[in-house]
Amino acid sequence: MDKETVATISYLSRLAFDKQNEEKITRDLENIIKFVDQLDSIDTSDIEPLKSPLEKTAKTREDKISAQNRKEQFLKNAPDANDDYFLVPRVVE
Amino acid sequence: MTWETVIGLEVHVQLSTKTKLFSGASTTFGSEPNTQVDLIDLGLPGVLPVANKEAFYKAIRFGLATNAEINQVSMFDRKNYFYPDLPKGYQITQMEKPIVGTGSILINVDGAEKLINITRAHLEEDAGKSIHDLFDGETGVDLNRAGTPLLEIVSEPEISNAKEAVAYFKAIHQLVTFLDICDGNMAQGSMRCDVNVSVKKIDDKALGTRAEIKNINSFKFIERAINFEVARQIKRLEKGESIIQETRLYDSIKNETRSMRSKEAANDYRYFPEPDLLPVVISDKELEEIRITLPELPKQKEIRFIEEHSLEESEAKILASSKAMANLFEDASTKTKDSNLIAKWLVGDVSALLNKENISIEESNLSSVNFAKLIERISDKTISGKIAKSVLEEIWVSGNDVDLIIQEKGLVQIQDESILEDIAKKIIEANPDQVNAYKGGKEKLFGFFVGQVMKETQGKANPQGVNEVLKKLLDT
Amino acid sequence: MSIQFKTIKELSSMLQSKEVSNYELLQETFKLVKSYKHLNAFITLNEENALKKARNLDNNTSDLSLSGIPIAQKDLFVTKGLRTTCGSNMLSNFIPPYSATVIENLENAGCISIGKTNMDEFAMGSSNETSFYGNVNNPWGENLVPGGSSGGSAAVVAAGIVPAATGTDTGGSIRQPASLCGITGIKPTYGRISRWGMIAFASSLDQAGPMARTAEDCAILMNEMCSHDNKDTTSLDETIPDFTKDLDAPVKGLKIGIVKEFDLSKLDSNVVKVFEDSKKHYESLGVDFVEVSLPNINLSVPTYYVVAPAECSSNLSRFDGVKFGKRCNDPKDLEDLYIRSRSEGFGEEVKRRILIGSYVLSAGFYDAYYKKAQQVRRLIKNDFDNAFKHVDLIMSPTTRGTAFEAGSMSDPIQMYLEDLFTVPANLAGLPGISIPSGYLDSKPLGIQLIGNSLQESQLLNVAHNFQMTSDWHLRTPPTRSK
Repeated sequence: MDKETVATISYLSRLAFDKQNEEKITRDLENIIKFVDQLDSIDTSDIEPLKSPLEKTAKTREDKISAQNRKEQFLKNAPDANDDYFLVPRVVE
Repeated sequence: MTWETVIGLEVHVQLSTKTKLFSGASTTFGSEPNTQVDLIDLGLPGVLPVANKEAFYKAIRFGLATNAEINQVSMFDRKNYFYPDLPKGYQITQMEKPIVGTGSILINVDGAEKLINITRAHLEEDAGKSIHDLFDGETGVDLNRAGTPLLEIVSEPEISNAKEAVAYFKAIHQLVTFLDICDGNMAQGSMRCDVNVSVKKIDDKALGTRAEIKNINSFKFIERAINFEVARQIKRLEKGESIIQETRLYDSIKNETRSMRSKEAANDYRYFPEPDLLPVVISDKELEEIRITLPELPKQKEIRFIEEHSLEESEAKILASSKAMANLFEDASTKTKDSNLIAKWLVGDVSALLNKENISIEESNLSSVNFAKLIERISDKTISGKIAKSVLEEIWVSGNDVDLIIQEKGLVQIQDESILEDIAKKIIEANPDQVNAYKGGKEKLFGFFVGQVMKETQGKANPQGVNEVLKKLLDT
Repeated sequence: MSIQFKTIKELSSMLQSKEVSNYELLQETFKLVKSYKHLNAFITLNEENALKKARNLDNNTSDLSLSGIPIAQKDLFVTKGLRTTCGSNMLSNFIPPYSATVIENLENAGCISIGKTNMDEFAMGSSNETSFYGNVNNPWGENLVPGGSSGGSAAVVAAGIVPAATGTDTGGSIRQPASLCGITGIKPTYGRISRWGMIAFASSLDQAGPMARTAEDCAILMNEMCSHDNKDTTSLDETIPDFTKDLDAPVKGLKIGIVKEFDLSKLDSNVVKVFEDSKKHYESLGVDFVEVSLPNINLSVPTYYVVAPAECSSNLSRFDGVKFGKRCNDPKDLEDLYIRSRSEGFGEEVKRRILIGSYVLSAGFYDAYYKKAQQVRRLIKNDFDNAFKHVDLIMSPTTRGTAFEAGSMSDPIQMYLEDLFTVPANLAGLPGISIPSGYLDSKPLGIQLIGNSLQESQLLNVAHNFQMTSDWHLRTPPTRSK
């Protein structure tokens, strides 16, 4: 697993590592991928992937309002917020 | 060196369900920030989505109206990326098996019809809103919109110029409002589109690299953005430079497209099937029910207007073309009897005002109650047709009540025969030469007298009454 | 009068006969909690509320099935108003505004939640060594791991502090700690218990379940924990039987399968002996053992370690420092906020799994890894379906050995292989139970029974029969209070 790949997936996951840990993580990932590569040992060409162990379909809901206004509760427990909005550092588009 | 343009549109239509796609929070527009956010919309640990059946029904209506395949078993996928207004860090969408498959829609450009094929239409949840300019150095996040159901309609890249693109967007707008699946209010963001634009030399087989212009929500801006972008691309290619495949934003103030150049462009969305939602199945019975209860489409309405209200075909077509227009027509017709007068005004003066500003009826200040009243005041001769025009213009600007305007501006038509006679007598006495000339055979001078009475009454005299009185006084 | 090591049945009886009052019971429970502090089994206690509830029960008697029974809740279930951390720094300050359906079900049945148990961070681990709140110690021995991720829950039941605790099982996190701690734990069929309020690790694998001293107590708890929940579309609509009804039915004539491909010769011979003795025990009860072949079962662990990380990498994206949970100090821009909040908030194992997950889902790798794994998953499920045409249940050891020393397994992959016997049931969505079946060097060891879909009653019945005719489950660790 090359440095670039590790950097890409780290960024996709919004995780960063210091120099020391970078090496360990790279090694761990390589080993784990090598471990799961065992899956190649078997031919699955016509097999339908199993997305859920349940052989059933979903129930849906009626289009009726059932939620309460939890604005105060949500904003109070946010890491940074004012009376109306969640706040994050200014995003430049 | 002739270039041709290839355009594909992805239109995001906010479905007019009462609640969100996966939670029971309200979707009402314009509420106080963060007051319509359920536990599920916030993406709290442990929450799970449950699909809103009505959203599926609305999506299916679209599919049926565009003769599309309906996937009765539809599944959801996760699109993973980080953004402050995307609470879960992923959007639930349909990648693999969208609810609506290939269909088509007819567009009309300057009288010519063209069929545009639609690749697919799928359900997905909308994100919240990020507000960048209100807070000192910070961005505020309002999650009211997060979770609102969207129908993303993807066209084949069969659109060849900005005019066609606008026609297509208008056709979609008309269809979704008629189907009652979207309120069509673009100012409120009910419909937005992303435009994919590329150019190529006419004899080239291969398509050019495309740029995507994101989030345009007006007919006017689509046209301008495309025109700018096409010119930009051609200019670059003629210089020998290449087109970068990227996302761009349209700046309506500077009338240009700008590269977004954010790392988002390098995003790998890592789509995979949503494990919290099992497939949703729409039964044959439900499908049939939706088919039967499909709202009246423009063509059917047109025919009905001709039959029920004895309208001209051209008038009926225009009135049936917009749900808001059609509703306004039908509404006003219940309040006042003269359908033909209503039609004439809608097709004439009201349409002219709408086109001038390039807005839709919902965006105007004209309410159906007020409009009906205006027509009634013309019918009952309170005001003349000419005065009515200025009243309409006043309503357009202020939205004030018709009767209030008439009263404040003293526009009540003068109909009293004795008053008109007095004024006419005065004019006749003041203009003996013209009287003689008229009586001598210059019949056209009748108009002069009419004009003078009108001037004297500031246009408020009832034209018919003026004619009768003058005839009586002059022709004896 | 000691309440330590009592079962739910025993405590209910004591409460009914007024041998002990509700308040006294809870008081004694908290005394035990304090004297076993060294187990580090709790992250948050609910003492004041619990005692208040008990006091109320003494004033207003109730005939609810679990009235007054103290229960420990794994800190993976959100509890309204009571801090829920999921074993992570990321949620160290998180007070949920709602409770999990499972918690509500149990409390509506009269249970008193005494606190939130320690666990591997975000349920990722098999030894309870990845918790931000420190390791949990196995009551059976100094510095031994209790198993994971439901290590805290297993430890408190094993130490007799509470008769029962809730656990969750994604790859074996109920069954494995049950085996290493000498208690009984069952993972039901996927969908039996609502996942509303369960902090998600791997959505298509996660399932809650009871951990208790006996199969009978597990059955009593299953009756209350299982429900169809409209808020969880993956929750089953099937009729929920009374799991206690047929516990005593004889097991004579039942066919139990032994998986050929689980080559037991690779295990420690003592472990194999415990297993063989259990087999003999069942044979003496009239059970027939048959060899079954599940040709793809040895691909379970690699399959699991593609599917679970993939789902978790997405499930954990909501922890971004924006709306709840921890945020880093003074983020200089949005990217910095995300990267530092997440890097500081998550531990090593969680980060590893998120990275693996992102990798196997990324463009170019999806087909080779994620899609492939889901295809193999179907093959594994098919293998089980075929096997259950010939047998009623499948039996195997739960773990490869007894509890190991904390810190002795530093290689992630070695740790992953601990899940060898338990993971297949999660992949196939089938119910599985672990019961104590022997001791090696005074450390407990369990056997696992896997049933066909919706056959928890049968599992509990077979487990109960074993327990009625043996006493492994009655042994208790040396009472090593501080």
